[in-house]
Amino acid sequence: MAKKRVLVVGGGLAGLAASMKLAELDADVSLMSLTRVKRSHSACAQGGINSCNDLTRQLGDSEWRHLDDTLYGGDFLQHQPPVKELVYWAPQIIDLMDRLGVTFNRTPEGFRDQRRFGGTLFKRTAFAGATTGQQLLYALDEQVRRWQASGHVTKYESWDFLGLVQDSSGRCRGCVAQDLVTMEIRAIPADAVIIASGGCGGIFGRSTNSVACTGSAVSRVFQAGARYANAEFVQVHPTAIPGADKLRLISESARGEGGRVWVPREPQDARPPGAIPEKERLYFLEERYPKYGNLVPRDIATREIFNVCVKEGLSVDRGRMCVYLDVSHLPREMLDAKLAGILEIYEKFQGVDPRAAAMRIFPAVHYSMGGLWCDYERIAEGGLNLCSPRTQQTNLPGLFAIGECDYQYHGANRLGANSLVACIFSGLSVAGGVISYVNSLPNGLAAEQSAALFAAERRRHEARYREILARADSGPNPYRVQAELGELMTRVATVVRHNGELEQAYGRVRELEEEARRCAPSDRGEWANQNVVFVRALQDMFPLARTILKGALARDECRGAHYKPEFEPLGVDAADPAERRRQAEEWCDQFEQNNARWLKTTVASLDRDGEPQLAYEEVDTSLIPPRPRLYGVAGGDLIEQAFAERQARRAAGRKP
Amino acid sequence: MNAGARAEGGARSFIVRVLRQDRPGSEAYWESHSVVHEPDMNVISVLQRIAEQARTVEGKRVAPVVWECNCLEEVCGACTMIINGRVRQACTALVDRLLEERPGAIELRPMTKFPVLRDLLVDRTRIFAALHKVKAWVPVDSYHHMGPGPRRSQDEQQMAYHYSKCMSCGCCLEACPQFLKIELTRGRDESAEAFRARCFAAYDRSFMGAHAIAQVELFNQNPIGKMSARERLDALTSEGGIQNCGNAQNCVKVCPKDIPLTRAIALAGRHATLHALRNWFDR
Amino acid sequence: MNASAASVFGQNEFVLRRWHSLTGLLPIGAFLCFHLATNASILDGPELFQRRVGQIHSLGATTLVPLEWAFIFLPILFHGVIGLIIVSRGQRNVHLYPYATNWRYTLQRWSGVVAFLFIIWHVLHMHGWVHLPWWTEHVAAPLGGARFDPENVLTAATAIQASPLVFAVYLVGVLACVYHFTHGLWTMGITWGVWTSPRSQRTANILILGFGCIVALMGLGALIGMQVQDTKAGSAQSAPAAPLEEGR
Repeated sequence: MAKKRVLVVGGGLAGLAASMKLAELDADVSLMSLTRVKRSHSACAQGGINSCNDLTRQLGDSEWRHLDDTLYGGDFLQHQPPVKELVYWAPQIIDLMDRLGVTFNRTPEGFRDQRRFGGTLFKRTAFAGATTGQQLLYALDEQVRRWQASGHVTKYESWDFLGLVQDSSGRCRGCVAQDLVTMEIRAIPADAVIIASGGCGGIFGRSTNSVACTGSAVSRVFQAGARYANAEFVQVHPTAIPGADKLRLISESARGEGGRVWVPREPQDARPPGAIPEKERLYFLEERYPKYGNLVPRDIATREIFNVCVKEGLSVDRGRMCVYLDVSHLPREMLDAKLAGILEIYEKFQGVDPRAAAMRIFPAVHYSMGGLWCDYERIAEGGLNLCSPRTQQTNLPGLFAIGECDYQYHGANRLGANSLVACIFSGLSVAGGVISYVNSLPNGLAAEQSAALFAAERRRHEARYREILARADSGPNPYRVQAELGELMTRVATVVRHNGELEQAYGRVRELEEEARRCAPSDRGEWANQNVVFVRALQDMFPLARTILKGALARDECRGAHYKPEFEPLGVDAADPAERRRQAEEWCDQFEQNNARWLKTTVASLDRDGEPQLAYEEVDTSLIPPRPRLYGVAGGDLIEQAFAERQARRAAGRKP
Repeated sequence: MNAGARAEGGARSFIVRVLRQDRPGSEAYWESHSVVHEPDMNVISVLQRIAEQARTVEGKRVAPVVWECNCLEEVCGACTMIINGRVRQACTALVDRLLEERPGAIELRPMTKFPVLRDLLVDRTRIFAALHKVKAWVPVDSYHHMGPGPRRSQDEQQMAYHYSKCMSCGCCLEACPQFLKIELTRGRDESAEAFRARCFAAYDRSFMGAHAIAQVELFNQNPIGKMSARERLDALTSEGGIQNCGNAQNCVKVCPKDIPLTRAIALAGRHATLHALRNWFDR
Repeated sequence: MNASAASVFGQNEFVLRRWHSLTGLLPIGAFLCFHLATNASILDGPELFQRRVGQIHSLGATTLVPLEWAFIFLPILFHGVIGLIIVSRGQRNVHLYPYATNWRYTLQRWSGVVAFLFIIWHVLHMHGWVHLPWWTEHVAAPLGGARFDPENVLTAATAIQASPLVFAVYLVGVLACVYHFTHGLWTMGITWGVWTSPRSQRTANILILGFGCIVALMGLGALIGMQVQDTKAGSAQSAPAAPLEEGR
């Protein structure tokens, strides 16, 4: 029998983890990536990787609490069984990465060191300097190189995935792809295809994502019939350095160590920040959230910074939106000891020393919680059967999705340092299911499929490529179309969302899509033509952009990263205790009604006309019942109490 | 929004000279582009503007300049090129600083030690071939759960972290006077696979460079990697190995990640010597 | 170099380069120091210098000639030929990367080439390459070589005083040798892994710089000593201090 051939699209943490595990299971792996896999976006992750560990366990932590933190942080929008499986695997994943040589920071006794991250009380996060993602990526890259040396893995680096090859029954039998240097278009047969192509930050123009994160591979399988879930959940990080080319993260620890966020009270005060006297500064986070100050949760910090610039017009600069993040009042020795790594990034890219002058920062699109819809097989205890071919499989048979481009693990909002562990977990766990799937294929392996099937698909993509090359000169400039799409999406579909704006934007995006169809490449050559590749990727951004907008428009509630002020429930603001109690009960009623309506996965599919159609899927919340997320809500304590009493009453009612 | 910023900045513009080449083996030529100055510009954003304009300073329509980039945060190593004569990453090359260094114009050219594919895009396969050659990986038994990795001291971790920050960008090789360009051309009847094999064979015989030597140190200090140290030392002392180092020490000065490459070379030199002596006496 | 020679070199690259490194110190570097120290003794008067030379030559040709070839000429030839291959395989770039160590690397190449050519000429000039009467008379002497007579050390001074050009060549040649040797000592410490940290490399560099200055001063001393000798006055009669068992 011929060897099982598996195609992995994307060479970040998830794709590499899947490749090495599949190679170990003796599959023949083709690994395809837009860049050298060592240059993948996973390298950008700084903070760390979460798991319950021996130390936190003794302080009362457990996998179950990791599960609880993850679900609570994600506003309970995740199916709970896959998350449960993830958190129970997490400690083993860190152990494995440790064996693979990841240079995790150490304690004086030689154990792995851990730090605390947002959304938990435990020091759950293992880290390797300020570049944990890079270190994890390299360890996996090295393992895959080892399998490449032994002939198990073939790399297609600097290749663009153009589309699936599906047989008459709809099964994936491989893909068509293009070499980005020679521009050769080739069909590559495979018995299963795994998409691990990461996020889609490119849709938002500039984001914290890498250049390769255009979402094009995801969009191409979406257009081929795969479903896309929870598109509207896009995480925005509050503090990034605005750059002309990209937005770079400044870690939360800058505020953790005493950094203050402010704007001049006088709009666009031209004086240098140090020259603006204290009383002419507006420390808006400290003023509005006296309890949390500058350390309010991410989504709130993001909203406030956004509002102060957009609504109140107090942006520091006139030409672009930004506020000051100031550490210049802190002692230099302390800054150098604790924040050197972060401050150096600012210095390197802005050419300004943040120890001497306040940094200019602004929120930036960071992570897509949504992604390709995929399946799992639950077992009685609430975890997963990882040998099931359903594991991570999309609705298209033979197509799997893992990493940032699957939707399963982060719900409505991702917890810091959970993405790395989810990427590696989904990569490792998909392997068993893929092998089961290939073993159960009813009608032969890809190698035995008819050549005509591949030739026809190849011709189709060749024709699309030729069509772009041959477009009339008069077409719009693709880079400007992307810039406008990005600005529009960032304005209406990130921090604060309004139905009117979303509706309007949807219309404009349609127009831009038409323009993108006419975009003319300025390069007509047939050798390393990045221009045509860009035009094609740009066109493929639109189905996803429209799905994000449509999902956001439809979801009339606030949940995690999705925030619509019109649908924000009122807090408890009465003075009279009885009235307060009544308000809290009302809040709880509202919360429950809202969950009944909206605690559902948005599942989009494209219809014949390319219009995203939304359906809603029940979320499996069988392990931990959803409860309200009450950061910064007025009267939160009272609501929490009222809700807990309700839960207790219900539990008591169920027992007898 | 952009227009406002530009108007405020007085619409100052500057010239970017790019050494272009259409294909491997074809003639290289200089081309000038005029770019409007914006705040916080780096060479990446300059190249983005050039792609958008697709017009030279003379107004001639041209194809956008081709270059490689990804993370734009100096952790991926992709956008390495020669900027104002010095090899570095385009993302951390700030326009204002470059114009201070050399007023009026910025000069971009591809790395000279690797075959040019097009414009600023070069083929750096040789870097990765060297990682193959020195077996730069930890040879674990399996990916099953076998408990945590070995305990390591903070000092060991720090040293390993330094070495393992290498992003295979190639700066150390570009600046190395002992590392020479190898450019082969595919024969008329040669298959892609055969050509690739021929390239790898040629790469294997030529100097591996500082980055690979540091990787040998990284993996030979790893408690698991140590068990196969002799294989790596064999590679290190084979043709193209550490003996080619000329101690010019440019590598350590141009390394964007401040990897202690010269220390790695000296330590690897010691280990290579002991290895060779042991091989000789144990023969 | 043809393909098969290149592949022989390639297959044994590591061992050849280690031998190349080693021969630079032992015997070549050691001999250089000894040679310059001996020659510098001329500063204490030609008599002492003559005595030293006499001591060396007292070994007798049967001993001295094999010693010369085994520990001086062949190692230098080996070191020089391998060195030329090394130089031909580098691409100096100090104009692009003008760092101190890169300058020293570049100088090491140039000084090596200069030193090798100088030594070849110097051995001809003083020694005549080989001591066969026919060769000395018909080849070496007409080429301006074999000027040194161990029985009369002032012949060396005479040869050097022959023209300012000769003196200049000696000056450059000796300094090239000294630089090449001492910087080679520093790189050798790295190559063999003696000093590994940047700090220890800096310290070693300072110590070696001091040592290099001493060796250079010996070389300069010897040269100046030769240059200021009054070769006409005493000439051949300046009494050999030690009886020579055998002249050549």
